[in-house]
Amino acid sequence: MNDLDSLIRKAPVTRRVFIQGTTLAGVAGFLAACGAGSSPKPTSDAITGPLNFANWPAYIDLTEDESSSPTLTDFKAKYGIEVNYKEDIEANEDFYATLAPLLGAGLDSGWDIIVLTDYMAARVVRAGWIEEINAANTPTAHANIRDELKGLAWDPDMKMHFPWQSGATGVGYNLKSTGRDLTKVDDLFDPAFKGKVTMLTGYADTFSLVGLLLKAKGDISKLPADMSYEDAQKVHDFIKPYVDSGHVRKFTGNEYLQDFGSGDTWAAMVWSGDLASSGGEDDRFAFPVEGTIIWTDNMLIPKGAKHKGAAEAMIDFVYDVKNAARLAAWIYYISPVKGVADEIAKTDAVLAANELLFPSAATAKNMFPQPALEDADDIKWADLASNLEGA
Amino acid sequence: MRKTLRSRRAIPYLLMAPGLLWLLLFFVIPNLQMLLFSLSEGTLRTGFTTPPEVFDWENFTGGIDQFSGNFRNSIVYGGLATILCFLIGYPLAYSIAFKGGRWKSLLLFMVIAPFFTSFLIRTISWKIILGNDGPLLGLIRDGLGLVPANFSILGTPLAVVGGLTYQFLPFMVLPLYISIDKVDRRLIEAAQDLYAGPWRRGGAIVGGVAGALLLIALQLGLGYTSATGEAATLTGLVVGILIGAGVGGVVGGFLVSQSFIRVTFPLSLPGVFAASILTFIPAIGDYVNAQLLGSPTTQMIGNVIQGRFLTQNDYPIAAALAFILMAGILLSIALYARLLGTEELTGGTA
Repeated sequence: MNDLDSLIRKAPVTRRVFIQGTTLAGVAGFLAACGAGSSPKPTSDAITGPLNFANWPAYIDLTEDESSSPTLTDFKAKYGIEVNYKEDIEANEDFYATLAPLLGAGLDSGWDIIVLTDYMAARVVRAGWIEEINAANTPTAHANIRDELKGLAWDPDMKMHFPWQSGATGVGYNLKSTGRDLTKVDDLFDPAFKGKVTMLTGYADTFSLVGLLLKAKGDISKLPADMSYEDAQKVHDFIKPYVDSGHVRKFTGNEYLQDFGSGDTWAAMVWSGDLASSGGEDDRFAFPVEGTIIWTDNMLIPKGAKHKGAAEAMIDFVYDVKNAARLAAWIYYISPVKGVADEIAKTDAVLAANELLFPSAATAKNMFPQPALEDADDIKWADLASNLEGA
Repeated sequence: MRKTLRSRRAIPYLLMAPGLLWLLLFFVIPNLQMLLFSLSEGTLRTGFTTPPEVFDWENFTGGIDQFSGNFRNSIVYGGLATILCFLIGYPLAYSIAFKGGRWKSLLLFMVIAPFFTSFLIRTISWKIILGNDGPLLGLIRDGLGLVPANFSILGTPLAVVGGLTYQFLPFMVLPLYISIDKVDRRLIEAAQDLYAGPWRRGGAIVGGVAGALLLIALQLGLGYTSATGEAATLTGLVVGILIGAGVGGVVGGFLVSQSFIRVTFPLSLPGVFAASILTFIPAIGDYVNAQLLGSPTTQMIGNVIQGRFLTQNDYPIAAALAFILMAGILLSIALYARLLGTEELTGGTA
């Protein structure tokens, strides 16, 4: 019964699919037909609530009984506003698809903060769908952001985004089910795990990580970020037989967490911190020897957001070193905030040595970014991915 | 005088108006919109070129071409689910109608009871039942040791067809019950008085052939022959056919009477027609079961339409596929009605 309850509560995929399926198709078609509407109203600096915050599952700290989040509670207490925090983002592409009809038509998306991975953040910034972040309202964030995260081509001066966390894409597995430790991307293709393997939707993670495997095998000469369409085709052709034979059971977003919980997934392509923070005791994450994909998820304020002031307050709040340390310690991802390592080391030496939060130099050397494709290429690659996904 | 006459003539139209308006707003207009999209070019991100600038019939031909596998999955899974629903539903409806007695309403209530739970929650509970740690695998893998450790049911066609069968069973049972319950008992008594006994030899032959055909359809449709989930092989096929023929023969020969074949079943045909259409249409267009219980190879056309609309934002292809699906369903129903004959549809002359 508990199983059922938690599954139902944690079934965002189904909820999303269903809601989209019933309502959004109509809305999207209608909006697209209307074409671009009026431009959204300007927003003020005043900190008013509720702050509508869309984030990924397993991406915020929770109390012992998992009923609330200390970070959000403290934020509410400090500013006296409500936070409507929803774990609505399971995959970049799917969430983009819910935003595109609204933001494309110049309408308010209903969110004040959204969190998207680099390539998708760059795409929505290019599309002009993002509000500028007022530097005067975010002094802590500007002061505390790690230097290597600054100066990105799509937003060199931190006007449009601030990183939420960075993380890696690697191999996750349940030690009890697999019966051995997995160390390679290649381990995902072990015949013993047939039907119990899942990969990630879209091309950004799956094609990059399998690209690294093919590079190690010598079939591809380029790193993921430099892969050509022909290389992507090779990755597709490598994975396809495993899909057809039923070896790869599914392509998932964050819902792999539920499949690990129910035992239906033994080994999968996963994001680094999730299994440590929200998985079972036998669930492990490995930085595969072929290499790991590194990415950053970024906070963005969508155009026309009704509570921009509150969103900026939240961005500044999570860049406070103490708040950032508390967050990173719970979710096991790489914090974008300077001094978090020292802050955590003060109380927990074991955690301060955890590779998930603070990758060692050796691990970091083996981390590679995802491809950042322009629209035309993106559509071609997405078609390859959707062919694998069967729909 | 003339005034009242005119207003009286207007009454039927007034009564129809809400329904017609509803259809116009939520069926005709969206469909015209879809038709325009299905002939357009582009995606949400690149912008659309709509008729009359372009008439892109490529969406239709290319759509069929690219997604023929998904169409095939839809037809096969929807068809198998309908057949299984019929095989489970007819005896159930028959028993409730003829043997239900004072428990009739309770039994009917139990048939529709699952509808009090959300469709999604029912599908998710199937995920648990069929899952790795679920009771079914617990029995056949851990208890009886029939299958290897990494055997899964989730992610196979069997799971999808099973889910569809479960979801749409009430759509089958209720119309069947209504038409079976309407059968005049005196006709059956008359048939028995006229020496309509057990079906014996005819039943054994018909049942045997039907059973064999069903097993062939199941094995080819699901790609299974053995309990261990191996792909279809000739030996497996033959064993399956023999089992199906044996079971069908026994059922046909011993359980079915001539009065049923000659009286009850023909009189319930309108119900069979309505029930199978009510089951087949939602089953063929369903995408939730394939999404939650299936794998990439079991995705149905509904999944493609959903993905094209909502993930790729490729409205033209999605609209074209939706039209193809709609046309296909209409066509097959027309054909089906033709085969079953129109007078059975209206209830026959009995």
